[in-house]
Amino acid sequence: MFKLKVSDAKLLRDMVTAISILVDEATFKIEPEGLKLRAMDPSRVAMIDFEWPKTVFEEYVCEAPSKMCINISELLRLLKRAGKDEAVELSLDEKTGRLQIKITGKYSRNFNMPTLEASEEEVPTPKITFNVKAKATTQGLSQAIEDAQLVSDHVRIEADTEKLVLNATGDLMGATITLQKGSDALLDLEVKENSKATFSLSYLAEIIKAASATSDIATLEFSTDMPIKIDFQQTKEGKLTFFLAPRIESE
Amino acid sequence: MGVNLRELVPKTVVRLEDLSGKKIAIDAYNALYQFLAIIRQPDGTPLKDHTGKVTSHLSGLFYRTSNLLELGIKPIYVFDGTPPALKEVEIKRRVEAKEEATIKYEQALAQGKIEEARMYAQATSRLHDYMEDDSKRLLTLMGIPWIQAPSEGEAQAAHLTKRGDADYCASQDYDSLLFGAPMLIRNVTISGRRKLPGKNVYIDVVPEVIKLDDVLKECGITYEQLIDVGILIGTDFNPDGIKGLGPKTALKLIKEHGTLEKALPHIKNAEFPHPPEKIREIFLQPKVSDDYTLKWQEPDVEGIVDFLVGEKDFSEDRVRKAIEKMQEGSRKLAGKTTLEKWFG
Repeated sequence: MFKLKVSDAKLLRDMVTAISILVDEATFKIEPEGLKLRAMDPSRVAMIDFEWPKTVFEEYVCEAPSKMCINISELLRLLKRAGKDEAVELSLDEKTGRLQIKITGKYSRNFNMPTLEASEEEVPTPKITFNVKAKATTQGLSQAIEDAQLVSDHVRIEADTEKLVLNATGDLMGATITLQKGSDALLDLEVKENSKATFSLSYLAEIIKAASATSDIATLEFSTDMPIKIDFQQTKEGKLTFFLAPRIESE
Repeated sequence: MGVNLRELVPKTVVRLEDLSGKKIAIDAYNALYQFLAIIRQPDGTPLKDHTGKVTSHLSGLFYRTSNLLELGIKPIYVFDGTPPALKEVEIKRRVEAKEEATIKYEQALAQGKIEEARMYAQATSRLHDYMEDDSKRLLTLMGIPWIQAPSEGEAQAAHLTKRGDADYCASQDYDSLLFGAPMLIRNVTISGRRKLPGKNVYIDVVPEVIKLDDVLKECGITYEQLIDVGILIGTDFNPDGIKGLGPKTALKLIKEHGTLEKALPHIKNAEFPHPPEKIREIFLQPKVSDDYTLKWQEPDVEGIVDFLVGEKDFSEDRVRKAIEKMQEGSRKLAGKTTLEKWFG
């Protein structure tokens, strides 16, 4: 038996949107203490690590741990039909294997969709020692990424004890974006060792844009030529973390 | 034409885009035969240069490979060496089938039956020495590594995959699995749409990945037992298999009795052109080589144009566009990593 309910559809919709940028089909782990998902995009460049404890939900019922795989874009299409203050209830019909989606507000509608064969793959998280930890507003980050996207499709992120610098070099143009420690955009910066790494802007932009809907503050952790970890602080409880593999220029 | 394991293997459909950054060891003969069969004019005539030499294989090799490079895939072509002596029955069968198809092709053509002619023409494809030489020359100009296998190309491609020098072994045949390739990928070198033979129907052909581990798990057998199942169904070294024995029955027999030797007394009409243990040995201890280097280099643009446009009458415009696209792909690939590298 599995059932969950949120009173505000937006919460669920934004989270599913964040998942949808990396995966088409998502296998959720349904556990008595909450909902979890860890998955990589098909090209294995980026990973989402997501956890929602049951306290996030208005109602959460899980009698035994199980897995559920669903087509995320289809689910998203249905959730988009829900208005801001409408309630959404998801439940799994164990007989038919179908997911029931009940949206109630001004009027009520029941959708149902098939579940898919759950993935058996257990995705580990990357093992990295981070030398930089930066806390920034998601708004400031989005702006910086948009700036960089004007000139290139990738960006080098560098940090020293004073500042975080985004360097983008395109075929014709270049851009340097500086976030000073203690500024409105960069709330905190801890640097054990000056570091720099390059990342794809399309991934960064999509991740930050989608996750910003759920979060105002993000913590970035990285080291030279290592994957970056971006943790989006959730307004309620819960975890939304992304990993993104770097581009290594000298190879 | 390879062992027919289709009914027994679980497969996952993938998008070529998702294979970006992956190294794929391609069974070159398998790919070239496909190009020769498919790339033809409506009446079945292959593409030719002004001297009358066939260029269908070059067209396929060039455009398909540049497409893979554009997506950031790193191909390695593996060419067949001397076939194992045990293959002579299959080779003879293929030669006869081609002779027969050639006669039917000419008849159909003479009668003006274009559709039929094309169908037979596809079965007449022969890989001449000059085609292999052309192909290797083109690959070298494109900066793509190719390997001369000591014997079966599939065995060598499987060997590369086993050693981790390639992520996937690409072939249409399932024999790579019997040669122990941990990952087989099908439908890599053929285009997205393919006409069903003899019908005016097109189907979408999508790449599919077959994991050896999944096959063994799904069937509930060991790798050695999979080879025995293959031998019962029929391989290139005993193409007829055992009369009336399909994949499912073969699997059931091996699971029930454990090995081929123990299963044989329970099978009627069990005949082999060679002792089955010899066939098994080809798969278990294939002739392969560790003596190869894999290096992807920048293409020699003018060299490719001289060859394909100057000698082989390709359109310069199309050739240059394809080169540009593949260069763009390798630029994008430069420095790309995946998270798996940090899983430790």
